[in-house]
Amino acid sequence: MGDWLEQNGALLGLALLDGIASAALIFMVAVGLNLVFGVLRVLNVAHGSLFAIGAYAAASIGLFAASAGLPGWASLLALLLAAMLVGLVLGPLIEQLLLRRVYGEEPVLQLLVTFALFMILEDAQKLVWGVQPVSFSVPVSLMGTVDVPFGTDVIPYNTYQVVLLPAVAVVTLVGLALFLRRTLTGRVILAVTTDREAATAMGIDARRVYLLTFTFGAMLAALGGALSTPTASLVPGIGASTIVLSFAVVATAGLGQIEGAALTALMIGIGRSVAVTFAPELEVVVPYIIMVAVLLVRPQGLFGVVETRRV
Amino acid sequence: MKALLQARGLRLAFGGVKAADGIDLDVMEGEFLAIIGPNGAGKTTFINMTTGYLRPQGGTITYDGTEITGRRPREIVRRGIARSFQLPQLFSEHTVEENAALAIAAREGIWSPLAPLLRPAWQEEARELLGRFGLLPLAGQRADALNEGTRKLADIAMAVALKPRLLLMDEPTSGVAASEKMAVVETLARVLRDARVTAVFVEHDMDVVERFADRVAVWSQGKIAALGPPARILADPAVQRDVIGIERPATPGGVAAHA
Repeated sequence: MGDWLEQNGALLGLALLDGIASAALIFMVAVGLNLVFGVLRVLNVAHGSLFAIGAYAAASIGLFAASAGLPGWASLLALLLAAMLVGLVLGPLIEQLLLRRVYGEEPVLQLLVTFALFMILEDAQKLVWGVQPVSFSVPVSLMGTVDVPFGTDVIPYNTYQVVLLPAVAVVTLVGLALFLRRTLTGRVILAVTTDREAATAMGIDARRVYLLTFTFGAMLAALGGALSTPTASLVPGIGASTIVLSFAVVATAGLGQIEGAALTALMIGIGRSVAVTFAPELEVVVPYIIMVAVLLVRPQGLFGVVETRRV
Repeated sequence: MKALLQARGLRLAFGGVKAADGIDLDVMEGEFLAIIGPNGAGKTTFINMTTGYLRPQGGTITYDGTEITGRRPREIVRRGIARSFQLPQLFSEHTVEENAALAIAAREGIWSPLAPLLRPAWQEEARELLGRFGLLPLAGQRADALNEGTRKLADIAMAVALKPRLLLMDEPTSGVAASEKMAVVETLARVLRDARVTAVFVEHDMDVVERFADRVAVWSQGKIAALGPPARILADPAVQRDVIGIERPATPGGVAAHA
């Protein structure tokens, strides 16, 4: 073991850093998916498409900013702007036109509707951005690299992925938890989640809570996408692979869990990147091995509680 | 005394079952009106129609001079009609005090995203309200840790926090232990009278009806079979046979004497 570590220490360190960076992105998407499901009780299959559109929009806005001669830091703002734009436009549109019609319906119907939306958005994205890879990596080069000590090794890694992404994920995690538990609007969202009928009886507008929550969830997915743009070239299909990973995270953590989703995203992100480095043939299956292993032992997920919901 | 709520010709059937079959009913300002009747007669349906949870197939409901038939629950609450459910609908993850504050927030407007739930003015009002219901010692407890009688009171306290003029309660004492029942009713009656709230309540316990109601409506097969003061209605042989006989075992010389 000692020998192995000595030979592969730097590789392992690199895999861990890769894992943390990708966990941050997966978390942003999964937590939005989880929040939307927790409040609206609709599993949004098209959540990954919002990630993809956020990513493409970030590339477009970033490239435009660069061609307009705006300074480098504007590229970071472009990412944020893209996420907000996609969330604020597509979120309300999807909620009002589609989801509103299927609240309380059979889960099968809800899945079909969001799956249809997923297919529409995937094609719309190909129509707008084409099928050639798109890339925009200004923010990564802008932020340079940082030396990360790992045992006896020092690993140079880009600051964007190892500092900015985890920082945004932590801010999201803490901010969301504080918002839901400490603020009035957060408590109202929890109240509607616990019992919609009772909340309505008090005069709370549950529809508005749904709209707000879905828009916020869409924004989180788009932010995940926008933040992923500088680290990878965008190709059709990133939406699908993202939603599948997010499902794995949400199922492993347990539905409705925020902190749990963060921890599970780390497990799956690191598990996958360690596999990429040391057993590439297992990369694709590692997230599901983790998920299945957890669900065999705890069917409600690592942090989930068995619900005793009133009908 | 004027009528605060007027139902005229209300009709609603589920399949072949007529829950309301031409109901005419006035609820007078300031009164406590009990609705009694066999299970499945349509008593809860009346509450659901009045509060907008069910839309009647025919007829009108007028509240304080305005027709509210078929309006949405939220709009009806805003007009001053609150309700409580047969199963108390408390938010279990919140404390009793937070539940009350949430109701106050719902009344005052909930859309200030970063404001705390327990802002001082609301907290003070919540505690004052809980005090009136005798719930202050339990203010810090989680709602799911309460016993049934206390849960009922807390649930009704939340409805009262909305400052309604009319409160509709679906079986306010069901599930409450017999030993606590009268205490719950006494507290309820006192608070509602002090707050000048008009109340309609569906009830199965005739002792509660006798003690609490100014008038009693007997709901049977979608119709109002009898309406009047409790002393007269509860002594009516037909009511005793059709309603009370089902609800509580016959006492010697009671229902049996009429059979």
